[in-house]
Amino acid sequence: MSIAMPGTRRQRGRARVVPSIILVVGAIYTLVPIAWVVTASTKSRGELFSSFSFLPGTGFWQNLVDLSTYEGGQYWQWALNSLIYAGVGSGISTLISAAAGFALARYRFRGRALVFTVLLAGVMLPQITLAIPQYFLMSSLGLANTYWSVLLPTLINPFGIYLACIYAQSSVPADTIEAARIDGASEFRIFRSLAVPMMLPGLVTIFMLQFVGVWNNFLLPFIMLSDESMFPLTTGLYMLLNRGTGTPALYSLAIMGALLSIIPLVALMLFLQRFWRLDLISGSLKG
Amino acid sequence: MGGSRLDEGETMTTAVSVRRARSAQPRVAPWAMLAPAIVLFVLFLLVPIGYAIYLSFVALRVDGGAFGVRRQVFVGFENYVTALANPEFVASLGRLALFGALSVPITLGLALLFALLLDLPGIRFGRFARTSIFLPYAVPGVIATLLWGFMYLPSTSPFNYVFRLIGLPPIDFLNEGVYGSLANIAVWSSVGFNMIILYTSLRSIPSEIYEAAKIDGANEWQIAWRIKIPLLTPSLLLTLLFSLIGTLQAYGEPTTLKSLSNSISHSFFPLMKVYRDAFGTDNISSAAAASVVLALGTLFVSLALLRLLQRRTFEETR
Amino acid sequence: MKRSTFIRIAAATLATATGLALAGCSTDGGGESSGPVTLEYWTWAPAVPDAVEVWNKAHPDIQVKVTQPAGADDIQAKVLAAQRAGEGPDIFAAEYQKLPGFVVSDAATDITDLVKDAKGDFSDATWNLASVGGRIYAVPQDTGPMVFMYRADLFEQYGLEVPTTWDEYAALAAKVREVAPGSYLGGYPDEASTFAAYAQQLGAEWWSSDGDSWTVGIDDEPSQRVADFWQPLVEQGLVDTTHFFTPEWNTMMNDGTLLSWAAGVWAPGTIESVAPDTAGKWRIARMPSWDGETQVGYMGGSSAMVGKTSKHAEEAVEFLTWLNGSAEGSGLLAEGGLFPASIAGQEGLSSLPVPPIVGGQDDFWTLAADIASDTADVTWGPNVQVAFDAFSDAIQKATNSGSSYRDVLKTTQDAVVADLKQTGFTVK
Repeated sequence: MSIAMPGTRRQRGRARVVPSIILVVGAIYTLVPIAWVVTASTKSRGELFSSFSFLPGTGFWQNLVDLSTYEGGQYWQWALNSLIYAGVGSGISTLISAAAGFALARYRFRGRALVFTVLLAGVMLPQITLAIPQYFLMSSLGLANTYWSVLLPTLINPFGIYLACIYAQSSVPADTIEAARIDGASEFRIFRSLAVPMMLPGLVTIFMLQFVGVWNNFLLPFIMLSDESMFPLTTGLYMLLNRGTGTPALYSLAIMGALLSIIPLVALMLFLQRFWRLDLISGSLKG
Repeated sequence: MGGSRLDEGETMTTAVSVRRARSAQPRVAPWAMLAPAIVLFVLFLLVPIGYAIYLSFVALRVDGGAFGVRRQVFVGFENYVTALANPEFVASLGRLALFGALSVPITLGLALLFALLLDLPGIRFGRFARTSIFLPYAVPGVIATLLWGFMYLPSTSPFNYVFRLIGLPPIDFLNEGVYGSLANIAVWSSVGFNMIILYTSLRSIPSEIYEAAKIDGANEWQIAWRIKIPLLTPSLLLTLLFSLIGTLQAYGEPTTLKSLSNSISHSFFPLMKVYRDAFGTDNISSAAAASVVLALGTLFVSLALLRLLQRRTFEETR
Repeated sequence: MKRSTFIRIAAATLATATGLALAGCSTDGGGESSGPVTLEYWTWAPAVPDAVEVWNKAHPDIQVKVTQPAGADDIQAKVLAAQRAGEGPDIFAAEYQKLPGFVVSDAATDITDLVKDAKGDFSDATWNLASVGGRIYAVPQDTGPMVFMYRADLFEQYGLEVPTTWDEYAALAAKVREVAPGSYLGGYPDEASTFAAYAQQLGAEWWSSDGDSWTVGIDDEPSQRVADFWQPLVEQGLVDTTHFFTPEWNTMMNDGTLLSWAAGVWAPGTIESVAPDTAGKWRIARMPSWDGETQVGYMGGSSAMVGKTSKHAEEAVEFLTWLNGSAEGSGLLAEGGLFPASIAGQEGLSSLPVPPIVGGQDDFWTLAADIASDTADVTWGPNVQVAFDAFSDAIQKATNSGSSYRDVLKTTQDAVVADLKQTGFTVK
C-alpha cells in the first residue's frame, strides 16, 4: 500500500464502520427469506398458521417424510428432472457455445460479421417471448410434453456463445494456434487439445451460468409439459402451491420442497466460489 | 511450443501439405464448429419467431351465425390493431412501467452501493456480505415469490406480527402495496448478480488510477463519485440492459403471487395477458401479435442501450 | 461457401430433423388396431381413477388410462394444444360452461347418435347442459346446484336463523357484525361463476341463441339486481372480500371467521380438505331466494367429452355411459365426492354416508337431491372464458376502488359482445 497519510488513516478508520453496517444490513435483508423458509419448514401443519414465523416448530421430519411420499416420491422425480434439464442441457450447450465462440474468435471467414451480428440480436430476444412460439413449434413436431421439449430450446445460448468468443480471444493466443497448424494439427485437434483447456475457466463459468438459468427456469417447462412426472422443481412446486389453495395441508410440503430445492444451488455458490469468473461478463465490455 | 501437444505419429508428410496451406485460413473448420449453434439458432430462435409472426397475421373466425367451427383466415394487421388498442394490454404495459420504475432503479442503485462499499479498503464482513447478497441468484423467481408471499400473508407474516406487538398498523402487502411487494421480490432476486458484475469491474481497475487522486487529497467518497462511477458506466449500462429485459419478461412472480393476492388480475403484466390469450381463451393469434410487439419493444430498447454502450466503450479506449 | 461444407451442414440439419421426428414417434407407441382398446382420459377429479379401476377389471377389451395433466383452469389449453399436434386424449373432462368453447374450437366429437340410449339416464335440464346447437357433445358427469352451507354450531351460539330470502341474508349479515364483530356471515361473489349462479335464480340469461345468432344479456335487469344487492353489503363491510381458496380464506373457514359459504353441492367434500377440524359443524340449506322462486343456479359441475382426434368414439361412449349414467358408475363417483348428474346416481345417494363436514345432517342427501331437481336452465356461449376473466378482473378492481358493480356488468357485456363479433358470430 502507498504511504498512509495521517488524514487518510483517520478516514479509513471512520470509513470502516458505516459501510460495514450497511453491508451487513444488506446481507441480513437477503437472508431473511432463507431464514424464514428454514424455520417454516420445521413447522407442522397446525403450527404454520398459528405460531410466529421465526420460532422453530416440531414438524421437520414429518414434513420431510410427507414430501417424500407425496404421490409416490414425485418430489424426488422433480429433483432428478431438474438435474437432467440443467446438467445435460448446460453441458451440451457449453460445448456448442465453446465451439461456436472459438470459431468466431479465431477464424476469419466470409460471413463472420453477419453471424456475429445475428448472434447479438439473439441475445436480446427475450427468452420468454420465445417460449410460446417454441411451444407451438414443438406441438406441431409432436414433441410437446417430452423431455426434448425442455432440453432442446436450452441448447442454444447466444449469450454463452458471446462470452466464449470474448474469452477465446483473450485466452487462446493466435500464435499458439498458428504454431500448432504448422506442426500439422487438424483444426479439430487444435480445438480439442489446445483451445478447450485454455478456455476452461471461462467455459466453467458459462456452464454454471447456464446451469443456474435452466435450473431456475419456470416458464419453459410450464408451457411445454403437462405430465407432472416430467416437471422440474420450479414447476412442480408451483403446482403444489396452487393445489394447496384447495388443500392447505400441501402448504407445508411446498415450503419443505422450496427449502430442499434451493440447497443444491446454494451449495454450488458457496463451495465453488473460486470457479465463478463473473469478471468475464464485465470484462467482455472491453472486448 | 505446439510440438509437445502432438502425437509422435504426426509425420513430415502431413506437414508438407499443411505448409502449402499454412498461409490460407481454414475454410471448412469454422463452419463445422458453428454448425450446431446455427442449426439450433434457426430451429429454436428464428423459426419460432417466424411462426409467431405468421400466426399474428391470421386468426380463427366463424362465418356468421351462432354455431359453427372456427377456421383460420388471413386478417392482415387486425390482430396488431386490436392488441395495441386493447385497454387491458395498454393498462398492463402501464403497470409494468410502474413496476419497472420501482424495481430497476432500486436494484441498480443498491447493486452500485454495495459494490462500491465492498471495494473500500478496510471494511469488515465483506466476504460474508458479498456471498450472502449474491445468494438469491440461486433461488428461482417462483420460489422467491413463494417465500416472500408467505411473509406478506397476514396470517403468517412475521413483519405484521412484530408490528402488532409494537402497536403499529399492519401493512397490506398483497393488495394496497402490491407494486412494492412485487418490486421487492425483483430487487431481492437480482441485486446480488448485478452487484457482482459491478464489483468485478471495479476490481479490474488498476490501483494506479487512485494513487494520483489520493496524492491530491481526495477522500473515498470523491474517488467513488469522480473516478469509479464513470469508469463503471459500461458495466452499469450492461446491468441496466439485463434488468430491463428481465422486467419486460415478468411472468412467474406475478403469477405465483396471484394465488395469494386479490389485486393481481389475469392480465396484470403483458406476458400474463399473452399467456392468457394463448392458453386460456384460445386466442392464439392475439397472443402471437402481442408477443411480437413485446419482442420488438425489447429489441428496440436493447439496441438503443447497446448503441449507448458501444459509444461509451469506444470513448474509453480512445 | 464450398460445396462440401454446404453438404455437410445440410446433412447435419437433415439428421437433426430426422432425429427429432424419430424421437417424437418413439415416445408414444401407436395405437394397436387389434387387441384391447386403450382410451386416454384426461381429468382432474380425484373420484375418477377409483371408478376407472373397477371398469378396467370388468372390461379387459376396453381399458381406460386416467391422466391428470392440469387443474380445471388449465386443462382446456392442454387439450387444444395436444389435439393440434394430433395427439389429443380420447376423453377429457369439461365443465359445462366450457362446452360451447370446445365445440367452436372443433375439439369434441358430435356424439348425438351414439348416446341416444343414455338420454333417459339424466333429467332434461341436465341433458341440455351437454348440448350445443341442438347436438350432444358430452356425457354429464356431476352437477353443482347451489346450496347454502353454514356453521350450525356458531349460528346457534350467536342466536342466528338460517335466511330464506336474500333480504333476510342482508339483515343477518348486519346482525353478525354486531353480535360477533370479528366474524362475517360470508363473502361476496367476486368471481363470475358464483355471481352468475345468483343471477340464474332470477332467470338471467347471460347468453341465449335462436340458432342463428347470439344475444348477450349480462347487464340485463336480473344481473343488475344482484349487483345492486351486494354493493352496499361490501361497502358497509358487512361481508368479507377475501377470495375463496386463498390461504387467508382457508384460515377463516377454519377458525370460524366465516360463518357460511354459498357454493355448489360439492362444497362439503371440498371443505373437507380445507378445514377438516370443523367436521360435523356445518349444515346445508336451500339457497335464499329473491322472490320466493325455488330454482337455483349452477356453480361448476362437469361432463366428459370425446376428443375430436379420438379413433374410438364408440368405445368411449360405452365407457362414459357406464361411468356417468349407470347406478354403479355414478355410485363410485359419489363415493369419491362428486354429486352425480344421473338420475340413478342421485337416487342411490341415500345409501351413502353423509360427508364428514356435515356429519349429523341425516337428510343431507335427500335435501341435496331435492335441490338438484329444480335448477335453472342455463345456456353458455362460446366465449365464457372471456366473460369470466373480464368480470373477475373488473369486480376486484371495483371493490378496491369503490366503483359501481353495475359498471362491472357493463364492462363484461361490452367485452363479450366485442369478442363474439370479432370471432365472426352474429350478435343481435
